[in-house]
Amino acid sequence: MERAVPHAVPLGQMEVFQALQRLHMTIFSQSVSPCGKFLAAGNNYGQIAIFSLSAALSSEAKEESKKPVVTFQAHDGPVYSMVSTDRHLLSAGDGEVKAWLWAEILKKGCKELWRRQPPYRTSLEVPEINALLLVPKENSLILAGGDCQLHTMDLETGTFTRALRGHTDYVHCLALRERSPEVLSGGEDGAVRLWDLRTAKEVQTIEVYKHEECSRPHNGRWISCLATDSDWMVCGGGPALTLWHLRSSTPTTIFPIRVPQKHVTFYQDLVLTAAGNSSRVDVFTNLGYRAFSLSF
Amino acid sequence: MSSESSKKRKPKVIRSDGAPAEGKRNRSDTEQEGKYYSEEAEVDLRDPGRDYELYKYTCQELQRLMAEIQDLKSRGGKDVAVEIEDRRIQSCVHFMTLKKLNRLAHIRLKKGRDQTHEAKQKVDAYHLQLQNLLYEVMHLQKEITKCLEFKSKHEEIDLVSLEEFYKEAPPDISKAEVTMGDPHQQTLARLDWELEQRKRLAEKYRECLSNKEKILKEIEVKKEYLSSLQPRLNSIMQASLPVQEYLFMPFDQAHKQYETARHLPPPLYVLFVQATAYGQACAHMKSSQPPRQDKTLSVAIEGSVDEAKALFKPPEDSQDDESDSDAEEEQTTKRRRPTLGVQLDDKRKEMLKRHPLSVMLDLKCKDDSVLHLTFYYLMNLNIMTVKAKVTTATELITPISAGDLLSPDSVLSCLYPGDHGKKTPNPANQYQFDKVGILTLRDYVLDLGHPYLWVQKLGGLHFPKEQPQHTVIADHSLSASHMETTMKLLKTRVQSRLALHKQFASLEHGIVPVTSDCQYLFPAKVVSRLVKWVTIAHEDYMELHFTKDIVEAGLAEDTNLYYMALVERGTAKLQAAVVLNPGYSSIPPIFQLCLNWKGEKTNSNDDNIRAMESEVNVCYKELCGPRPSHQLLTNQLQRLCVLLDVYLETESHDDSVEGPKEFPQEKMCLRLFRGPSRMKPFKYNHPQGISPGKKNSES
Repeated sequence: MERAVPHAVPLGQMEVFQALQRLHMTIFSQSVSPCGKFLAAGNNYGQIAIFSLSAALSSEAKEESKKPVVTFQAHDGPVYSMVSTDRHLLSAGDGEVKAWLWAEILKKGCKELWRRQPPYRTSLEVPEINALLLVPKENSLILAGGDCQLHTMDLETGTFTRALRGHTDYVHCLALRERSPEVLSGGEDGAVRLWDLRTAKEVQTIEVYKHEECSRPHNGRWISCLATDSDWMVCGGGPALTLWHLRSSTPTTIFPIRVPQKHVTFYQDLVLTAAGNSSRVDVFTNLGYRAFSLSF
Repeated sequence: MSSESSKKRKPKVIRSDGAPAEGKRNRSDTEQEGKYYSEEAEVDLRDPGRDYELYKYTCQELQRLMAEIQDLKSRGGKDVAVEIEDRRIQSCVHFMTLKKLNRLAHIRLKKGRDQTHEAKQKVDAYHLQLQNLLYEVMHLQKEITKCLEFKSKHEEIDLVSLEEFYKEAPPDISKAEVTMGDPHQQTLARLDWELEQRKRLAEKYRECLSNKEKILKEIEVKKEYLSSLQPRLNSIMQASLPVQEYLFMPFDQAHKQYETARHLPPPLYVLFVQATAYGQACAHMKSSQPPRQDKTLSVAIEGSVDEAKALFKPPEDSQDDESDSDAEEEQTTKRRRPTLGVQLDDKRKEMLKRHPLSVMLDLKCKDDSVLHLTFYYLMNLNIMTVKAKVTTATELITPISAGDLLSPDSVLSCLYPGDHGKKTPNPANQYQFDKVGILTLRDYVLDLGHPYLWVQKLGGLHFPKEQPQHTVIADHSLSASHMETTMKLLKTRVQSRLALHKQFASLEHGIVPVTSDCQYLFPAKVVSRLVKWVTIAHEDYMELHFTKDIVEAGLAEDTNLYYMALVERGTAKLQAAVVLNPGYSSIPPIFQLCLNWKGEKTNSNDDNIRAMESEVNVCYKELCGPRPSHQLLTNQLQRLCVLLDVYLETESHDDSVEGPKEFPQEKMCLRLFRGPSRMKPFKYNHPQGISPGKKNSES
């Protein structure tokens, strides 16, 4: 990993602090704008940065194009997940979900449109929201996180309709299986559970760590990332990143990545984005080839 | 023939050829004597017409005779001769008549001329008279016009107006009765009055002049008096010295200092003036103190004034010396080769020569420790340097790791970010260095002092990088604007270093000295212990495998101080490499961790190590403690111990390995893992206990 460092500049208090921040920054979430020109990224300090993808990907891209267009403080705690509707950017972190208008977001001093907190059982601590999922057919949002449940929220009314319980430890990630419609959730307990949205019941459970090909007991059993395109599913975390066939619940391909992955997305069957332990978002334009990195 | 006849008649003829005046005389002579024959008288009697007729007749007769003669001659004969002779005589007589007639004609002519002449003369005389008279007339006319034009001087005098005159003039001058009617008298009277007035004014003028003289004399006398006062005052000043000391008002001392200050080079002078002013301003602010001025900043000048004066001696002497020494050196180079290097060395010494005077600043801090700063001025390089020394009220026992903290070489390093004081701030010096083979000033800083940028600013010297100037002059406003900040930074620096000094002594013994007002940051029971605290060299730090991130981010400069701490609990050993920036504690120390427990874990392979580093490096503001935040380092170390505790106790039990957990969970934690990164509960909320709960992360 290369870093462009301005050695000539004497480092005062501000510069040292910013350098330390950058060294210890983790980007947890990302989301592409509905128009496809911008990428929003959220980090562990609660900041959201908007990058211009069109500028960064253009042939005349300079170092400047890889810097954020705008950065603002969105949450007090880390921004663990973000999704985009056709007009809004939804971000969630410590316990609540906030909405931002994409049209307004590029202006300085943007304020959130609304914020919501799902009903939690305990009041001792506020659980984090690790994953957000949009269900466009129902116009609802599914939140899952530290309290081991999946909550569904109606986007029009803002009320919380369902709470799906079944995980024994907190939920890491969600994925939507459009055809059914079913929701997949992966959690700290090492299981990938499929839920039917109409009946609000758990339909299928895959305990990844029990499969020898992909389990890595020295890492643990937790599932941190999930992606599905209805027939297939990719998941990884403590166990290795594996491609599963859903109907038969069998692992088919195991990706040779040693480090536990945090995010994985299918994009037009070609682009696979995966974020690691740094303040950077690595962009792969072909499978396996990392083109460049966006930096906070 | 005629000549003969003229000879005979000569005496008579001579008389008739004279001027009319002589003619007159002749007449009178003739009258007197009566003997002479006067043809003039005859002329008057004869008729000119008849004479003319006679002349014609004679000519005829002559012609006739000549013709007869001619005839006779041509005829010839005997009696011819007698006839010819006869005729000849007749013709001679005629000739004589002709001559007489001629003479008479001449006399008549002459007479006529004389008469004309006379008349003319008379006319001329009248003409002359007329002219004379005319001339006189003209002359008189001119004189008349001159007289008429004559302006008397009195008309040029601006006389007072008539009304004023009659008002002011005393009656014996104005004589109104007489003057009213007679303008001539009036003017005379006015002139009189004018004269009177002028006399009076002249009198006054003389009086005033004499007054002025008197006053001038008085002034002289008083001046004398005052100038004689000066030496007396001086003697009083001298006598008052003991009283000054008694009252702690050392005017004289200040005066002497100012005298010496006049010999300082300009940058040192600017520094001296600004520092004294600042010191006095600070003393004034604490006016509640008793008159014994609490001097937190005292300024003094050291060095030899005579040498400073000697610098400005006329260069003739030194030039002579130089030429002599050059000659000597030429001779000696043949004998001794090494003089070339010695010469270069001398040139170097010359270039780096210091001004004989230096300014000493003593900064006193609250705990009675003093920072002694000595400022020097390098004349040829036009930069200032400083040497620093810290003295404390009580003797300090220096722990091994604290060696560099207060060393004169590094105590003031990077007072402002990047100001390491190893390079000369004056870009023009590079050319001078090249001439004498000096690579960098770094080699000489131990001897000469450090040329920090803030030192130049305090001396009013500004070296702009973009446009190098030919001559940089010392500027008071630059010094004044930097004085307060720099003094405050210096004090903070000394105090933080002294605090670290004390803390290091404790750390070396394995005790993390947490003060009572910082205890709330940590849980009551901390099991991990600090076992080692040593300094490491910069190169060693760079070699460590787990410090690569910091090195690449440019945070590991050679101006920083590096330490290695070792925290242990059971079989777990946590190495922490610490980068201490000279700007501690405003710039936090940076920790990089390497945990040796069930394998080696660093921030590159374990997110939780990364989180621990983040807790200590990024969230340092929570650990600052009360101002002036000297507790930062020790709090960070204590936090590290707490984090290690949490890490070890919350480590999930690996099912594949036999045996119980090495570290039973003792801390109260609500959850062991949180968030997509599966963070351990590193945040400590007092007094709830450890939880991954919400806390204000740094933004």
